[in-house]
Amino acid sequence: MAVKVGKPAPDFETNAYINGEIKKVKLSDYKGQWVMLYFYPGDFTFV
Amino acid sequence: MTAVAAKYDEIKSLGAVVLAISIDSPFTHKVWQEGELSKMVPGGLPYPMLSDTGGRVGELYDVYDEDNGVDIRGRFLIDPDGILQAMEVLAPAVGRNVAEMIRQIKACQFVRQTGEATPAGWEPGKKSLQPGAELVGKVCDIWSPDMAF
Repeated sequence: MAVKVGKPAPDFETNAYINGEIKKVKLSDYKGQWVMLYFYPGDFTFV
Repeated sequence: MTAVAAKYDEIKSLGAVVLAISIDSPFTHKVWQEGELSKMVPGGLPYPMLSDTGGRVGELYDVYDEDNGVDIRGRFLIDPDGILQAMEVLAPAVGRNVAEMIRQIKACQFVRQTGEATPAGWEPGKKSLQPGAELVGKVCDIWSPDMAF
């Protein structure tokens, strides 16, 4: 399924590092807020 | 990522959250946060750092680079109903413009609240457009390209 503007963003669940803790996070946990989902190539890179 | 952190108060004030995501494990995120990021941003990055092990999430968003095993620089703006409103994908060596990202949040919120449209380069306070039959062929009467800058 391709992502498209105007269509639901695909939901997912994954581990996250938040305030010193490791927790499960689901995109749908953030319903009701604007979410900026930011992919980047990797930790310790320069840009 | 630190540029986003520097503007995080403004992003939060718009009712938005940032979720950063890469193929690194949560432990790698922790080490990067404590070892380097916290020296660039007091307290480190203020938003969650998600772990996309195996690129599964990147595949869902079509930003997983299988050859290099990393997620490329994709940015997705999702509204409170979970609907995708904007996206941008850049080459790995090209950094993003956080000010433009914030402008897009404001424009998307304005459109959602008013049902109006925001022309090129719109910023809060600038002219917006009422979509409708009356506007067809008349945009030139009320808007000009120099208003985009």
